Amino acid sequence: MLVGLDPSSLDRSSLFSLQGKVALLTGASGFLGRTFAETLLANGADLIAIGRPAKLSKQEQVWAEKYGPGRVHCYYADMYDLEALTQTLDEIAQRHAVDVLINNAHELAPSSGFNTPAGSLEQGTMDVWMRNLTAGVCWPALTVQKIGAGMKDRRRGSIINISTMYAVVAPRPALYEGTTFLNPPAYSASKAAMIAFTRYVASFWGRYGIRANAILPGPFSNTEDRGPNSVQAGDPFIEKLNANTCLGRVGHAGELAGALLFLASEASSYVTGQNIVVDGGWTAV
Amino acid sequence: MADKVKVTKESNRAQTLFDLTGRAAVITGGAGLLGIKHAEILAAAGGSPVLLDLPQAEPEVAAAAIAKKYGVDAAGFATDITQLADVEQVRDELLARFGHIDILINNAANNPKVESVGSSSSSKVWSRLENFPIEIWNDDLRVGLTGAFLCSRVFGSEMAKRGKGVILNIASDLAVIAPDQRLYRQQGVPDDQQPVKPVTYSVVKTGLIGLTRYLATYWATSGVRVNAISPGGVFNNQPAAFLAELHQRIPLARMAHADEYQGAILFLCSDASSYMTGANLVVDGGRTCW
Repeated sequence: MLVGLDPSSLDRSSLFSLQGKVALLTGASGFLGRTFAETLLANGADLIAIGRPAKLSKQEQVWAEKYGPGRVHCYYADMYDLEALTQTLDEIAQRHAVDVLINNAHELAPSSGFNTPAGSLEQGTMDVWMRNLTAGVCWPALTVQKIGAGMKDRRRGSIINISTMYAVVAPRPALYEGTTFLNPPAYSASKAAMIAFTRYVASFWGRYGIRANAILPGPFSNTEDRGPNSVQAGDPFIEKLNANTCLGRVGHAGELAGALLFLASEASSYVTGQNIVVDGGWTAV
Repeated sequence: MADKVKVTKESNRAQTLFDLTGRAAVITGGAGLLGIKHAEILAAAGGSPVLLDLPQAEPEVAAAAIAKKYGVDAAGFATDITQLADVEQVRDELLARFGHIDILINNAANNPKVESVGSSSSSKVWSRLENFPIEIWNDDLRVGLTGAFLCSRVFGSEMAKRGKGVILNIASDLAVIAPDQRLYRQQGVPDDQQPVKPVTYSVVKTGLIGLTRYLATYWATSGVRVNAISPGGVFNNQPAAFLAELHQRIPLARMAHADEYQGAILFLCSDASSYMTGANLVVDGGRTCW
C-alpha cells in the first residue's frame, strides 16, 4: 500500500516495481503470455508459469538464460483436465506465496470454435461452448479459489484477469465476410462472464486487501506464431482491424505491458473491480 | 499509417515505459491538493510540470518547490483558464520556453464542499437543488467544463499539429454513480435543510467523460490520446461517523491516500498506455463495482 510521502516511492522504478513479488501466469507460452511473462521478469517478479509442455519448456530455457536460473518455475498441465489442474494449483499454493495471479490462458483454436464454421452462432456445438466457458470461467474460478486462499491469509494480492473488448462490444460481422476467420460467440460470452466474476471477487475480497481487475485487449493480432489463430503480417484482415480502431492500427503485444505493470504493482493500490480497456479506441466509437 | 510507437523487447521495463524525460506537462488547478501530487509524479518521471492556477494559489511558488525537489524544469502561471486570451498567452510562453507541449491534465474544478448545516445565516441551504443559485451553477461549469474545453482547444491543437500528445481529464467516481446523499444526512435536521453534495459536481465530472470520448476520436489520427481517470474520495481527516458510513460502500473499506492516484496519472500520461484512448480508468477502491 502506498502510504507516507517518501519521495523515493514516487520514482517510477519503485512505484511500478514487482521486485520481491511472486506472479503466477497461466497460458505463459502463448502470444500475449510470452509478453506478460517477460514484463513480469524484467520488472523483478519471480514467475510461476502454467502451460503446455511443448511450448513452455522451450520458453523456460530462454527465460532462465535471460533472467537467471531460479526466477522461473514452470508447471506443465493440460488445464482442461480439471483434476490435474487442481492438483497443480494445490502444489503451487503449498510451495509459493503468490502475490499476483494472472488468468491469461484461453484456447484460441478450431477446437474452441475459432476460425471454423463449427464455432458459429448457428452451428456452435456444446463442446465448443463448454471449452470456452471452462477456459473463461472455470479456470479463473479454480485459480482464484486455490491461490486466493493464501492471499486472504496474507491480506494482500492482485488478481488480473485477461478478458477482451469482445466482453463489452460484439465482433462486427463485416470483419469476417469473405474470410475464413471467425470469432465464436462462446468466446464473447465466456469473457463477459469473466469480468462479472472479476467484480464479484473484488467485492467480496476487498476487505482482505485483495484487488481484482480485468484487462480488455482490443485487436492484438498474433503475427508471431504460425498456427490456426495466427495472421500473416500484411493480411487484408489486419487492414480491416486497423480501420476499426481510432488509432488506425492494431496493438503491439508490448503495449499491454503498461496495463499489466500498473495492475500488478502498488501503483494501482486503490483500483479494484475495474476493466482496463486497451483497444486503440475501438470501443470509444 | 506509420506506427508512432516503437516497442522493442527491452521496452517493457518500468524505467523506459513510464519515462517522461523532456516532456512539458500542463496541469490545471496545479497548485491544489491533488494538482501538486499529479505534478510530483510527472516530475519524478523526468517531466517538466507546468502548473496553472489562480493567483491566490501561488502556482509559481509551488512550481519552484517541485523544480528544487526533483531537479527538473518546472513553471507556474497565475492564469484564469476560463479566459481564452489567458490560455493562449500561456501557450505562447510555453512554446517559447519548451518548444512543445506534450501533456495536458484537466484537473481544475470547483469542489463545492457539502454545506454544513447552520453555516449560513439564512434558513435556506443553498446547495440543495431547490435553492441552487444559477450564479454558482454557471461558475462551476465555467471552471470545470469551459476551462477544460479551452485548455484542450489551445494546448491540444498544438499537440495535434505536432502529431503527438496526451490529454488526461480528471473526472470522479461521481461521473459513474450518483452521490449517495444519505452519507451527508444529519440527525435532527428537517429534510428540506439536509446538507447535500451539489448537483454541479456530478454534471461537470460526467461532462468530462463525454469530452474525453469526443476528443479521443476527434484527434485519434493526429497522435493525441485522450483518457480520463475517475478517482474516489481522498482521506483528509473526515469525521469518524462519515468514514464509517462511507467505508461500508467501498470494497477496500477505506478512502484513498492523497498520493494513491499517482500511478494512474503516470500510466495514462506516459507511453505505457500508448494503445489506450477514449478510456475511463476508475480508481475508487471498488465503490462502483458492486
